[in-house]
Amino acid sequence: MKKSIELIEKIEGEAELHCAYGTDGRVVDAQIQFTSARNIEKILQGRDPKDALIINPRVCGICNHAHLIATVRALEACYKSVKISQKSQICREVTLSLELIQSHFKWFYLTIMPLLGFKPAIEKALKPSRIAAEAIAAFAGQYPHNSYAIAGGIVSDITPIELINAKERIEALKKLFKESLIDADPALFKECDKIETMLKHRGDMPLAMAKIIENGWQMMGKSEDRFIVFAEGAFKKGKSIGTRVSTNISTGHIKEESIKRSLAKRVLYKDRGYEVGPLARAMLMKTALIKESHRKYADSIFSRILARVCEIPQLIIYIESLLHRLDLSEESWIDPGEFPKRAVGAGVVEAARGSLVHKVEIEEGVIKEYNIITPTQWNLGSGDIEKPGIAQKALIGLKNSDPIELVLKSFDVCSVCTTH
Amino acid sequence: MVEKLQQNRILWLSSLTCNGNSHSLLNHPNLDLLLQNIQFLYHPLLPSRYRLKEVIQNSYECEILVIEGSIDPTLKINGVKMIDVITRYSSIAEVVITAGTCSTFGGIFSRSNEKASGLHFREEKRTEDFKNIWQKSISLPGCPVHPDLIFKTIQMILKGLYIDLDECRRPKIFYGWTVHDGCNRNEYYEYKIGHHRFGEMEGCMFIDHGCRAPFTRGSCNKILWNGINSKTRAGQPCSGCTEPDFPAFNLWETKKHMGIPAHAPLGVPKRAYISIAGVAKAFKIERFEKRILKKGSAVEKKH
Ligand code: SF4
Ligand code: SF4
Repeated sequence: MKKSIELIEKIEGEAELHCAYGTDGRVVDAQIQFTSARNIEKILQGRDPKDALIINPRVCGICNHAHLIATVRALEACYKSVKISQKSQICREVTLSLELIQSHFKWFYLTIMPLLGFKPAIEKALKPSRIAAEAIAAFAGQYPHNSYAIAGGIVSDITPIELINAKERIEALKKLFKESLIDADPALFKECDKIETMLKHRGDMPLAMAKIIENGWQMMGKSEDRFIVFAEGAFKKGKSIGTRVSTNISTGHIKEESIKRSLAKRVLYKDRGYEVGPLARAMLMKTALIKESHRKYADSIFSRILARVCEIPQLIIYIESLLHRLDLSEESWIDPGEFPKRAVGAGVVEAARGSLVHKVEIEEGVIKEYNIITPTQWNLGSGDIEKPGIAQKALIGLKNSDPIELVLKSFDVCSVCTTH
Repeated sequence: MVEKLQQNRILWLSSLTCNGNSHSLLNHPNLDLLLQNIQFLYHPLLPSRYRLKEVIQNSYECEILVIEGSIDPTLKINGVKMIDVITRYSSIAEVVITAGTCSTFGGIFSRSNEKASGLHFREEKRTEDFKNIWQKSISLPGCPVHPDLIFKTIQMILKGLYIDLDECRRPKIFYGWTVHDGCNRNEYYEYKIGHHRFGEMEGCMFIDHGCRAPFTRGSCNKILWNGINSKTRAGQPCSGCTEPDFPAFNLWETKKHMGIPAHAPLGVPKRAYISIAGVAKAFKIERFEKRILKKGSAVEKKH
């Protein structure tokens, strides 16, 4: 059997992709292996629970804020009850959504476009992500790696100045979205349900999508067609088998398993693998355009890439509606009282690449166990030939001449998160 | 420290990292100017001349080597030990920059990994492995390092300007003063007004909430983050992320001895601090006693 090992680079670190090919030249098995581990969970043991707010963003340079929000939710879940103002709730949602936007821009322009043969457009990636980072910093002090969300709210007093600073930048993001990604109003994405209508607009997104069709890749990268979303806010929680949605899910059914030879663990929900991320979220929200894409091209790279880019306008609209409701006269922080000496708590959040789960166990006032389950573990955790992981399944059946790297990176692998 | 470089080739290598320094650099507003003047042989995010695989297998000429992440001698990428790759390129490069606290002092990821350390330090302690390149090293700690610090350091190197370094090889221009310098809570600090409450602009976090800025070297409050803010300005106590002991324990509380912060400001004798604090506290200053901004600043009404 022919085998190949590729070093996959620029995925927030690296991973090795081991492929085995059958006699017809198609991938029969694909193993994704990560080679470093940083053991962040171990660093937390024995510490004051609040230290996790500082340490956990350092799991990941690109989704650090999602790790912060997951941490604060896990810590708040340790209290019998915590009151937090709508103002701080809104701020957290806004900064989290901004992080998703910067990540989506970077991924589309630095990862996807070059793999489709377009010249890398660095400024188109970096300008919007820089502006999104500034808007986060207006509320949170800095980006990346702030810890402005604490049990009971946020540390900052949001005055009209911070608000203006953030709003100006959100306006700028909207403009950039139109200028570079697609020449259409974000609101269009609420109704538009025709791929052709979208493709007719000017912009890099229609160009990229047209290129996938032109290359005949639109049906590639199909996987299990099972989706799961754990956190709400901008999105809807639930699982979807194909288009059959059920909203009754609980983090209690998540199980982590070690994988031979790889330092990452895979995750299952009731013993089955699920895809997480923008496509999963769009399937649960029944976003018109993505539903149409799924009907035509199933859970292929076409749908996956389109779903991620289409989250940008959706998030911009979400942020605007939140800021519209922001009442500055509310408290930023309400003292939640002494941290419980003994408790367990879980926090979930939708990070750019999908659901992120943090679980903490407190004993004698310090962290006894901390457990982080990242989106890439859902999508990339390898399985075996009988029960392949999500990305594995997407790769199996591809020929050597097919866009293997594109299929893998359509999930936006994050090495550092996976090997936290 | 070096003559003006002939060529401007930068190689960015990562060891045990979160990639935070790479992403942080991407936030620099003038990155495009830098990219016009230099060439990245490899950068973990930006388009680069070579693939990492090629960098690992070959020895390319380069002028500046940037290292991100704790150095773990057992870490292998593509079957090759990263430490060997770092050793090889650090002898080729004319300048070696450690970007971030991990590659400088070991940082977060050396806390769960006894073998991992910074290039020249494991926390405070000097290590020997890279002794021979000490003279060409520049330390830029920070978790992550502020993008402008990397940016300006590279500019200074490219222009052949003299960079004044301290005993840890940090540029003094960035690390000679503390993070406390420039915080907009300074007035409260001066008069030792604690009563800081999270969610408010008023009050200093040194007294109760663990602010480490007075003994943390860095420029966060002068060269603002993302051009507009800083953690302490926003209301998050400085966690000392540029220091060898980062991350210390109990980062949200000030450790005290008999009501006095146990850790005095950088270079200030304890006794001096206690006397000054005593004097400052003896006065009740009306202006600082109550909030200056009304709750929620009350300026903007509900929309
Ligand atoms: S110093 Fe901080 S930002 Fe840099 S790699 Fe280490 S944890 Fe990440
Ligand atoms: S909050 Fe920290 S940085 Fe600001 S004045 Fe007080 S000690 Fe200095």
